Amino acid sequence: MTNPTAFEDVDVGDELPPIHLTLTPEQVKRYAEAANMPGGRFMSDELAKAEGLPGQIVPGNFSLALFSRLITDWSPRAKVMRLSATFRGLVHPEQPLTASGVVTEKHSSDQGEFIECDLVIESDAGDRLVTGTATVRLPPQE
Amino acid sequence: MAPKLDKSLIGSEFDHTEFPPVTAEHIREYAAAALETNPRHLTANDAELVAPPTYVVSLRGRHFMPANLQTVLNIGRRGFDAGKDIECGVPVRVGDALTATSTVHDIYEKTGRSGSMVFVVLRTKITNQRGESVAVIDQKMMLR
Amino acid sequence: MILDLHTHSEASEDSRAPVETYLKWLQRKRAEVPIDGLVLTEHRQWDPHADYRALEDKYEFLILRGAEVETDYGHVLVYGVNKDITRHFDFTNVRLSAQELIPAVTDMGGIALPCHPGRPTVGLCAHYDGKPPIEGVIAVEALNGGSRRGENERVQELIDRYGYKTFGGSDSHLVSFIGICATEFDRDIRSIDDLVTELREGVYRPVDFRANLAKRAAS
Repeated sequence: MTNPTAFEDVDVGDELPPIHLTLTPEQVKRYAEAANMPGGRFMSDELAKAEGLPGQIVPGNFSLALFSRLITDWSPRAKVMRLSATFRGLVHPEQPLTASGVVTEKHSSDQGEFIECDLVIESDAGDRLVTGTATVRLPPQE
Repeated sequence: MAPKLDKSLIGSEFDHTEFPPVTAEHIREYAAAALETNPRHLTANDAELVAPPTYVVSLRGRHFMPANLQTVLNIGRRGFDAGKDIECGVPVRVGDALTATSTVHDIYEKTGRSGSMVFVVLRTKITNQRGESVAVIDQKMMLR
Repeated sequence: MILDLHTHSEASEDSRAPVETYLKWLQRKRAEVPIDGLVLTEHRQWDPHADYRALEDKYEFLILRGAEVETDYGHVLVYGVNKDITRHFDFTNVRLSAQELIPAVTDMGGIALPCHPGRPTVGLCAHYDGKPPIEGVIAVEALNGGSRRGENERVQELIDRYGYKTFGGSDSHLVSFIGICATEFDRDIRSIDDLVTELREGVYRPVDFRANLAKRAAS
């Protein structure tokens, strides 16, 4: 279900609606500044190359933020309890990306109702640049 | 220069920072920069505004890693963010006075596409003015 | 019999996949990922006490164990790990000698096979450019589910030149990637000893289920 509002609306195997995007150099710079990340590598191609990189890179934290948005776009009532990401490859601005996810587990206890998701950011060639997981709390039907 | 896998730093605290109160302006700027769409992070009034879960990564302490890390481990200065794990507690709201305490959580070595790398996991615990846990962040740094 | 020969659970520091969640997922995805078992090949470690028999019984699924170690010729999967092997080789050492490891593991009753050979730095192809070939390699992982574009394809020349047998594995670190690539064996396998025997002497081939999952996602 797209936009589930309750725990019962979710099934294992449900795919989160993907986000397709291409970040601009300005968006990357803006995020790095907002996130207090002073590294030149996030600011411009020139500064990144001075650090020995092929060009400006997207901070890993920005990928993590996209994972968070993927979840709350899917279910605005979802509360992210845990979020993890492994940064497997450099992500660059002006590179078409797809962020996607799938529900892998549901469990409920006296602590609440929780959903586990796998998350991925892939290049347009299908290379997995960022992989991660999320534990999300979604309330039961009222 | 072969790295020295000296684990004596594990458990050591290298930063304790008390941040000025969180502003609505910074929450909204972070959310907009992170391409958030949820109104509770962007257009809600100040009393109801809530920072996105990853906002906590913007809390950069006085020391990002132990000052003597490169010397102890005998590695270069070049580091990359290899991964993050955030355990989210209570949400961050306008006016919150947050404190971050960081320790070295783990040190190990492995090889990958870019060669031999030393990984250092830095754990940061963030609490608010009521002593509530806001986040526990494990930051995995890859150093060469 | 189809087994995923290369998987990581949350025991590997870069995996977030509990073993039981793998099994529940495979029960649901039987049509797309029709594997009969998996081999946990955790990074740089071996726990002699880990025991998954209760999960095997509960889910009627074969769970075997191996390890993924790091050598001067790239990463290697070790099956049939025993006390002799762990006494002789420190699995936490990222600079093991492949020339020593591979024949020695065979002599000690196991089998050690290079994985993701097409991957830069940690795959065999990169090392065979400038170093002598390793003695005693029986098979290589020609199909790795975590490889990037071109990395699996690079292996063909290696196979043609040295006559290696080939196998497949998902290299999964997340639940939803389990079984996407695997190995089909002509004979049944019920134990780690069976697996070692079949890898040494049997007939097997890599199988690719990624298209099944893509088809399902598109529908």
